[in-house]
Amino acid sequence: MNFKKTKGIIRRELKDKLFSKSFVIMTLLIPGIIFLSVGIQSYMMSYDSNTTKKIMIVTGIPNLIDELQNEFIQSDMAVSKEFILTFEEMNEKDFMNGLEKMKPLLMDESLNGIVFIPKDALTNKEVRYYSKNPKNRSLTGKLSSVINQVLVTKYFAGRDIDQKDILYAKKRVHFNTMKVSSQNIEKEGFGGEIISFGFTFLLYMGLMLSGTLILRSVIEEKNNRIVEVLLSSVSSNDLMVGKIIGASLTALAQMFIWIIPIILILSTTWFMLPPELNISISIWQWLYFFLNFLIGIVTFLGLFAAVGAIFDNDQDAQSGLWPVMMLIMIPFFIALSVGNNPSNSLAVYTSMFPFSAIIVMPARMALVEVPVSQFIISIIVSLVTLILVFPLSGKIYRIGILMTGKKPTWKEVASWIKAKN
Amino acid sequence: MGRPEKMNPLVIRNLTKNFGDICAVNHANFEVTENSVFGLIGRNGAGKTTTIRMLMNIYLPDEGEIIFRGEKITPEFKDVVGYLPEERGLYKKMSVLDTLLFFAEIKGKTGSTVKRKALEYLERFELLDRASSKIQDLSKGNQQKIQFITTILHDPDFIILDEPFSGLDPINTDLLKDIILEMKEKNKVIIFSTHLMDYAEKLCDHIAMIDKGKIIVSGSMKDIKQKFSDGNITLIHEGDISFARNLPYVEKVNDFGNFTGIKVKDSLHTQEFLKELVNRNIRIDKFSANDISLHEIFVQLAGVSENETTHSWKGVGNEF
Repeated sequence: MNFKKTKGIIRRELKDKLFSKSFVIMTLLIPGIIFLSVGIQSYMMSYDSNTTKKIMIVTGIPNLIDELQNEFIQSDMAVSKEFILTFEEMNEKDFMNGLEKMKPLLMDESLNGIVFIPKDALTNKEVRYYSKNPKNRSLTGKLSSVINQVLVTKYFAGRDIDQKDILYAKKRVHFNTMKVSSQNIEKEGFGGEIISFGFTFLLYMGLMLSGTLILRSVIEEKNNRIVEVLLSSVSSNDLMVGKIIGASLTALAQMFIWIIPIILILSTTWFMLPPELNISISIWQWLYFFLNFLIGIVTFLGLFAAVGAIFDNDQDAQSGLWPVMMLIMIPFFIALSVGNNPSNSLAVYTSMFPFSAIIVMPARMALVEVPVSQFIISIIVSLVTLILVFPLSGKIYRIGILMTGKKPTWKEVASWIKAKN
Repeated sequence: MGRPEKMNPLVIRNLTKNFGDICAVNHANFEVTENSVFGLIGRNGAGKTTTIRMLMNIYLPDEGEIIFRGEKITPEFKDVVGYLPEERGLYKKMSVLDTLLFFAEIKGKTGSTVKRKALEYLERFELLDRASSKIQDLSKGNQQKIQFITTILHDPDFIILDEPFSGLDPINTDLLKDIILEMKEKNKVIIFSTHLMDYAEKLCDHIAMIDKGKIIVSGSMKDIKQKFSDGNITLIHEGDISFARNLPYVEKVNDFGNFTGIKVKDSLHTQEFLKELVNRNIRIDKFSANDISLHEIFVQLAGVSENETTHSWKGVGNEF
């Protein structure tokens, strides 16, 4: 490789990409998109609860209305004022007869739901909820908790049991999750999940943005016939390597800009984070994160450059990009699901599998303590993937950039890989 | 290392390139001499660009070798070559000066000398005031000029120009021609690839004609013309000379619009033909015996009709 010439290509790429307005805009825009998507999600959740809901609670158990009212007044539901509750007492037969009359109210949503507590709920805790939208889990969850407490009180009433014991019986079990690592055992909040989501999203965006940029740049060079002028000065390998180094440095700079605020928030006392958000990521894990990203970006940029070289225009290239997109999208969705159980076998294996290791391992590492051996395997797998894939990308790139006219078939592209020159 | 016998600076031996079943260049042999403009001539698709791409190490030949100043070419050869490809290309969003400096840099030339030279060329091509303009804001002709400057800015020993005049107005065509001749004076080796025979005829000292991947003739323009001009008459006239086709000593009549090429069986028949024209009261504006155009040679050798060849006799391209 002629480094002096490659330096010229790298410098041009950096000038074109790193010091461009679009870089500044995209770098600032991506965290904005993340905040926006999280914000929209929480808004959607709160939007639901902001609408006042009218619920009728009908009890088939005699003399339960006072207890129900008292319990609901003390509950979070009364505090948030998101519900207007009415209480009725009637036996099951009367309720079933009256239900038909209530149906229009439920349909036009002037009444959002009716809870019926039958008499035998005192033995089996089975209640019924009638609504146009009965699968509103957040609502049924809240109602269930309060009704459970009333039923427990009623069940133990007159049984000579201390009020303290009844209170204990009414209380739900609360899981305090403790994260066990080799250094210590600490209370786990949801900081790990946020970081895991952040890593996944940033890696995905980093790969996609840089990949799209290099894809367009290769197509531009091919389309505008610049490539022939370039190849009269540098070899196709120098050109591809120069372009990829330039694009990788830009992508790394972008990732640094995104990650540095996270490092500052987590490792300094400048921002007082609530204990639930606390998470510790060691320096080695940060180093791993950047090394992993670097290997990933070089691997994927090679693939994007090769796809760009195969096609003459953006439209054809977008349609021919799906195999590379699959290699990013599938790990992206696996990484998003890692939050449910970071130790499931799919998460473990894909975090050490070619291509997926790049996105899944950082998401896993934010949630659980990953053994060092798995980090090493992950890096080795990614490196070997790079070593195997890059020369193939180079070969496709070298032949593709000088091919114009008819869109090649995948069979033809395969024959380029086998070709001598 | 230098060889004791005097060798031409660029020697092409047995050069062959196949693309699948298609043989783009078939055992091509030719030599490019020192201090000359060398024309690589042929129709579109004849194999000129593939030959040039092999010279530039863009394609690796399947067979054969390219010897530059006594040694097989290496990737370093690219540093001493200036290449203006047929299909031009520049980064549209880059400024004019940045473009020039970038292309010089990837030829291994950086620093203030290159910058000064770039500004000098811009001044010469009347583009100095556009130094900081983006390429996309220039006219096609001006982009062409920038492309040409990128080809010569690094002061190459060896220059390959593929259809350099296409898209240029007559004034800039003249300017480019002057620069090409200037470079020739400076002992640069110039390869000029074209399908326009008249340009090649006016500029080149040596040529290689390529057809269907094969070199059909190569050598000095003078020798080739001498070889093919025997018994050939170039005639500019007024009046119908269709009778010439029926004369027993006339071998071939080629009407090129502005002139007619006539091949007689023997040069001794030239006088006889002139006499015939006079007797038939044909007004003769030019009668040139033992003269032949490059176009006629190409038609003869490639065995194609005049309509199949691309030429500029009927006003294609710019005259200088």
